[in-house]
Amino acid sequence: MHYANTYLDKPVVGDLEEATTEGTEKVLHCMLNTGSDIYQGACKKRGSTLKEEYKNVSGTCYMDPRDMAALGVKNWDTVLVKTDYGEVVVNAAKSRDAPHKGTVFICKGPWANTVVSHETYCCSDPTYKGVKCTVEKTDRKVLLMADLMRWVYKKYVDETDDDVIENMESLGELPVYKGRKWEELK
Amino acid sequence: MSYEPPITDYDEIVENCTCAFCGCNCDDLDYLVKNGHVVAVRHACRLGASKIMEDMDQRLIVPMVRGENGELEEVDWDTALDTAAEYIANSIRPVFYGWSETSTECMKEGIELGEYIGAVLDNQATICHGPSLQAVQNAGYPIQTLGEVKNRADMIVYSGSNAMNSHPRHMGRYSVFPRGYFRQRGRFDRTVVTMDPKFSDTAKMSDKWIGFEQNGDYGFYNAIRAVLKGKKLTQNVVSGIPAEDIYELVEEMKNAEFGVLFFGLGLTHTLSKQRNIDIAIKMVMDLNRFSKWGLTPMRGHFNVNGFNIFMAYETGFAFGVDFARGYTRYMLGETNTIDLLVRKEPDCFLVIAADPGAHFPNGANQHLADIPVIQIDIHWGPSTELADVVLPGSFIGVECAGTSYRMDGVPIYMKKAIDKPETCRDDEWIVRELKERVMKLREEPNVAPKYVPNPAAE
Repeated sequence: MHYANTYLDKPVVGDLEEATTEGTEKVLHCMLNTGSDIYQGACKKRGSTLKEEYKNVSGTCYMDPRDMAALGVKNWDTVLVKTDYGEVVVNAAKSRDAPHKGTVFICKGPWANTVVSHETYCCSDPTYKGVKCTVEKTDRKVLLMADLMRWVYKKYVDETDDDVIENMESLGELPVYKGRKWEELK
Repeated sequence: MSYEPPITDYDEIVENCTCAFCGCNCDDLDYLVKNGHVVAVRHACRLGASKIMEDMDQRLIVPMVRGENGELEEVDWDTALDTAAEYIANSIRPVFYGWSETSTECMKEGIELGEYIGAVLDNQATICHGPSLQAVQNAGYPIQTLGEVKNRADMIVYSGSNAMNSHPRHMGRYSVFPRGYFRQRGRFDRTVVTMDPKFSDTAKMSDKWIGFEQNGDYGFYNAIRAVLKGKKLTQNVVSGIPAEDIYELVEEMKNAEFGVLFFGLGLTHTLSKQRNIDIAIKMVMDLNRFSKWGLTPMRGHFNVNGFNIFMAYETGFAFGVDFARGYTRYMLGETNTIDLLVRKEPDCFLVIAADPGAHFPNGANQHLADIPVIQIDIHWGPSTELADVVLPGSFIGVECAGTSYRMDGVPIYMKKAIDKPETCRDDEWIVRELKERVMKLREEPNVAPKYVPNPAAE
């Protein structure tokens, strides 16, 4: 059946004026904001959360081009974002809302959740915006949603070592379950 | 992006459907249907169209329960419902979270179940517009409908909200571009101001962008209030905005015929949380001394406002309602989902039409890994990775009819367009079944002990 296409490989981001691989700094101290954008919203609400697309729209750190040059990262290189609450590997990309030097933006989703603050200060609402973080270049890969959930929460895996779980076989882009009925009905 | 030809191969058009995405609840969508599937959507934004033409790969169709080895296994409805009911009936502190993407009719069943076993009922407002609801209790609620905005407003202010990304048709259908009765020239009759630290897509379309610094919203609104009251600013720069710009803005706001402030999560998620909204509401009150002003929170899900209105009507509290003592309690920082999870209180978690896996901070979600999680949803999402029982629901507004409330509080009946997959059930049916099964397992309802004023005297 021919559907109107709402799928997208990666969000559209601008080209960097001068792509450098040699950065001047190893670790960047930044302010982390999270929130929604249209690519993340479209992918999440369609339900394509296991897909590569969700990894690219939600697990991407949008940065100011000057910050990217300082770290020596190009569009779609990977960076490690660390806060007091955790760390996560995400893609780096040039922000569509630049300039905002010293501020990075990660769309909401399992990746951002790993690093945002759960402090509500008795106001019911966790602090999703304005969290202090560090950003550094890394060779580690961005995990797919199912792998990330396994790595972070370890609910249905016996292993406890983060590094071992990170390198386990991927759960892939399709649901993993026992049975055939769903497949037949779809 | 490449050019895509329009869809011409379809059986029928279902007209005037309501979009089940954001708080705009656009009720003018046309679905193109072929073989019982929506193949294209007319008039919807990218988000709405994307949601309605869902990803069938990840559509939940068959109920599932976690097996011994931690893998989800397909089961029949009876087994799945019994397992879920057992988890709920045997729990001491259950939390029922979600409700924002289902119908108000379903909430009715949910509140009965919650009251019967003494659960906490909470919705997505707890992580998005909760501070707005608190501020409304503190300071008031000067609201107007979106129809009034369309017909009358000549000044639109977006604060901490990126409408072009999260409510894409808001500007086009309700606030900025449409021609209204008193605003015959549409966009040309309106002034649009965006207040956001980020030069967002909405800011790019506005006449004025006020890029105050991060966490500077509270100070900035206070400065506006001071100027409105005829005071002189003693600082040259407030929250990164020069004083003369604030004077100019205030003059413009005072001279508007009908102004509206739309505010989003930019205000509620920063450090001063509900105090930001308090001060914004008070600013609107001050502005009303000079002109007519109103405000509307930019609600995210299509029925997140519905749950708050429904709960406030039924229990007196808008969200985070705790039935554990046999009567309703609401205490900020105590009966809200995030606080409960961080304190590791709940021993059973029911997720209905929500995705905590995708939207709760790690610190709260860690507890979900230790307790049974029951999920009622339509898609396999991050929460499914944490769920022990999965109950496939149906898609309100597409496969199932129901009532929802728009961001301004207008109730809209969403009609059904296509049939749901055969093995799915309506959310309302699932919750009612759960309720009946739980009532069988736990015969005594959770009621408060009789109040005795002075036990010693008895």
